[in-house]
This record gives sequence, C-alpha cells and structure tokens, in this order.
Amino acid sequence: MTARTLAWTSFIAIAAFVLMAASRLTVLDPVENVTLNVTSPMQTGLSSLTRPVADWVNNITDAGALSDENRRLREENERLTNELARAREEAIQRQSAEDLNAVKQQFPDDVFLASNVVSRDSSNARAIIAIDSGSGDGVREGMIVVSEGRSLVGTVTKTFEDYAWITLITDPKSAVSAIVQESRSDGVVSGNYDGSLVMDFVGQGAAVKVGDFVTTSGVGGRYPSGIVIGRIADVQRTDQDLFQKVHVDHLASLSKLERVLVLTSFEPRTLEKPE
Amino acid sequence: MRYWTGAVIAFFLAIVQASSVEQFKILGVSPNLLLVFLVAWLVVRGLDDVLPMLFVAGVTFGLVGLQPPGVILLALLPIAGFGVLRELHVVHSDLILVVLLVFGASLMYEIVILGSIMATGGVLEVATGLRATVVPAAIVNVGLAPPVYFVMRFAKPAQRRGQLSF
Repeated sequence: MTARTLAWTSFIAIAAFVLMAASRLTVLDPVENVTLNVTSPMQTGLSSLTRPVADWVNNITDAGALSDENRRLREENERLTNELARAREEAIQRQSAEDLNAVKQQFPDDVFLASNVVSRDSSNARAIIAIDSGSGDGVREGMIVVSEGRSLVGTVTKTFEDYAWITLITDPKSAVSAIVQESRSDGVVSGNYDGSLVMDFVGQGAAVKVGDFVTTSGVGGRYPSGIVIGRIADVQRTDQDLFQKVHVDHLASLSKLERVLVLTSFEPRTLEKPE
Repeated sequence: MRYWTGAVIAFFLAIVQASSVEQFKILGVSPNLLLVFLVAWLVVRGLDDVLPMLFVAGVTFGLVGLQPPGVILLALLPIAGFGVLRELHVVHSDLILVVLLVFGASLMYEIVILGSIMATGGVLEVATGLRATVVPAAIVNVGLAPPVYFVMRFAKPAQRRGQLSF
C-alpha cells in the first residue's frame, strides 16, 4: 500500500465519521436540500425511463405476475377493505360515547396534502421515501402519511424546505401503537428488515385471529386512532412466550407508492411522564 | 484529468443507483451497481484510481439516496481493504477476483448498513437482517459482477488491455 493510498483511505475513514456526526447534527440538511433540488429532475427522468424495464424484470422475477394489474387490484382492494374497516370501526366506536368524543376531538376535520414520491432509499434494509412537499408546504416532522386508500403509510421523519422524508411502517425503526379491531387487543406494530410487519406485546390471552383488522390505537399521541394498518396474516403462540407474535399484512402497496397524503391537520403529541 | 473523469462517472453512477437501479428487485433486494462498478474498477485500474471515485460516489449516493453520506462511505470503505488482496495476487483470474471481491464487499456493505440501523434504534433481528438483505444482496451483486467487469475491461491500461484474464 503506497503512502498516497494510505492517505486517501485515512481521509475517507475520517470523512465518514465527520459526515456521520454532521448528519446527526443536521448540519448537512441545506446541502441535502440543494442536492435533491438539483438532481431530482435527473432522478425523475431516469426513474421514469427505467421503470418499464424494471417492471418487466420484476414481473419475470415475480413469476410472471402482472404488476400493473396487481397494483390496480390492490388499490381497489385497499379502498374497499378500508371502507369495510372504517364502517366496522365506526360501528364499534358508536357503542361508546366516550370513544366517539375522543375520535371527534382527534379528527376535527382531516386536512390532507397530496404529494408525489420523488425518491426511495435504495439501501435494502431501510424503508424510506422522499416526497416533493416540505416545510415550505406546511409539512412538519411527526406528521402522519397515508395512502390514497387511507391506509397508514408512515411518518414524516425529516423535513427540508421543498422535500420531506417519510419513514414507512415497514422500516426496522418504525413502531406504531396498534389495536386489533375485533378483539380490541393492543400491541406495537414494528417493521422488519424483510419488509414485513410484526405486532408485538399482544398478550397470550388475547383472542386474535387471521383476517382481523389492525388499526392505530392512538396510544402515546403520535398517531390518531382508527387508521387502518393491515390485516392479520399469521399468529404464533407458544406456551413459553409471554406474548403472541402476530404477523400483519399491510394494506397499502408500499413498494410501489407514487402518491401519498400527508395528514397535516393532526399534530402529534408527546405525553409527559407522571411525576 | 483521469481523477476528474472518474469523479464525474462516480457522481452519475450514484444518481443512477439512487433513481433507477433501486427499482429492480431480485430476490427481494436491489442490486448495488455502484459497489459492483467500484470493485470492478479496483481490479481493472487499482486502488489509487478507485479511492477518489469511492469518496465522490459515497458522498453523492448518501446525499441523494436518503442514507447519511458518512454511513455510505463507511460501508464502501472495505473496498479499500480488498484492494490490498488484489495487490497480493492471490487470485490470477481478474474475473474470479471481481466475483470474490464483490461478494465480500457486498457482505461488508450490507452488514455496516444493518449495524448502523440497529445502533440507531432499529429492531435487533440480526437473523432476519442477514436472511432478508445481507445474503441476497451479495448473491444478486455477484450475478451483476461478470457483465460489469467485461465492460470495465475497456478501462484497463493500454498495455494490459490485450491480456485475457478470465
């Protein structure tokens, strides 16, 4: 290894740690905003240019599934499923005047901001997208993002003037307080590295079954209650475990999102701990 | 001059990786054309040539690809370590060397990304992470390595260009 090579390697290693610190301290935010502004037309062009090829390759690797038709049917299914879930949710909510009041307080009137997905995180372990609305459009960190079918998509985790990053519910860093609609059993829905959703902390005695709807519970104040996350796909119970492990299929087609809605009327709350 | 050329290529490749390549899903993961290109460049041109490109590519990809640039740089840095293996001439076939180094560099890249996610609040499902991202990504990148290497051979120094070293 020559002195020049050693110098370059040391420089890159030091730069890596300096840049990591800079990212944590949000020093790089203006640079990232400018870079996204400058490169987004190129990225959008390249993306639309290669999308047909990518769809074709993905169709082959997905055993010939017709992705366009599948996506259309999924969206239709998502919309109908959401209507059904909302109708059920309303019926359950109506049974309790207190619950109804709580919901009314949390949803004075929903205001959504429609945004286009302009970039996706290309690392295989994360599930993050960028949208073309930012702090200049009223988007704030912590706001909730839903699909056009009104299923939960994720949360705004970083905002720039013209862009915002959305951490999807399937991201390994995502955790959402959730409730099983039918049995009212609560838990936490987390993402994982394989893009799946797992609902943890569901007690062994909770009566949950495949096909039940999972919605946000509103516990903790970071999400409004009643937004549909998905349906239970599998339930694992073992006598040794304290909790059941519930696998959830998300309703929104998260891997092919092109347009999302930011719920700008909901302000997330941070609950203070009791003294 | 060649460093400027390399930097421009690395910049555009990072944009292509962030905007186009991520759309392709094979075995549930996207190929990392950027990493494969850098490894192939390393074998064809040597460590001195690839390090400036690695820096430009890592920072650009971090800025446009939604991951912190520092993490991307750190994840790409093992390529420099693999450059030492190239100098040792343990493997005489460039193609086999590219395939081996791509496999190793991909594993290291994904492990660093996985580690950074876990260290900053991600779920501690190591087995799922390895099964769902690290190993499939390494396999997919290995599949991409031969065609990229054959294109890269045109970038060999003139005196070595005529040599067939599959």
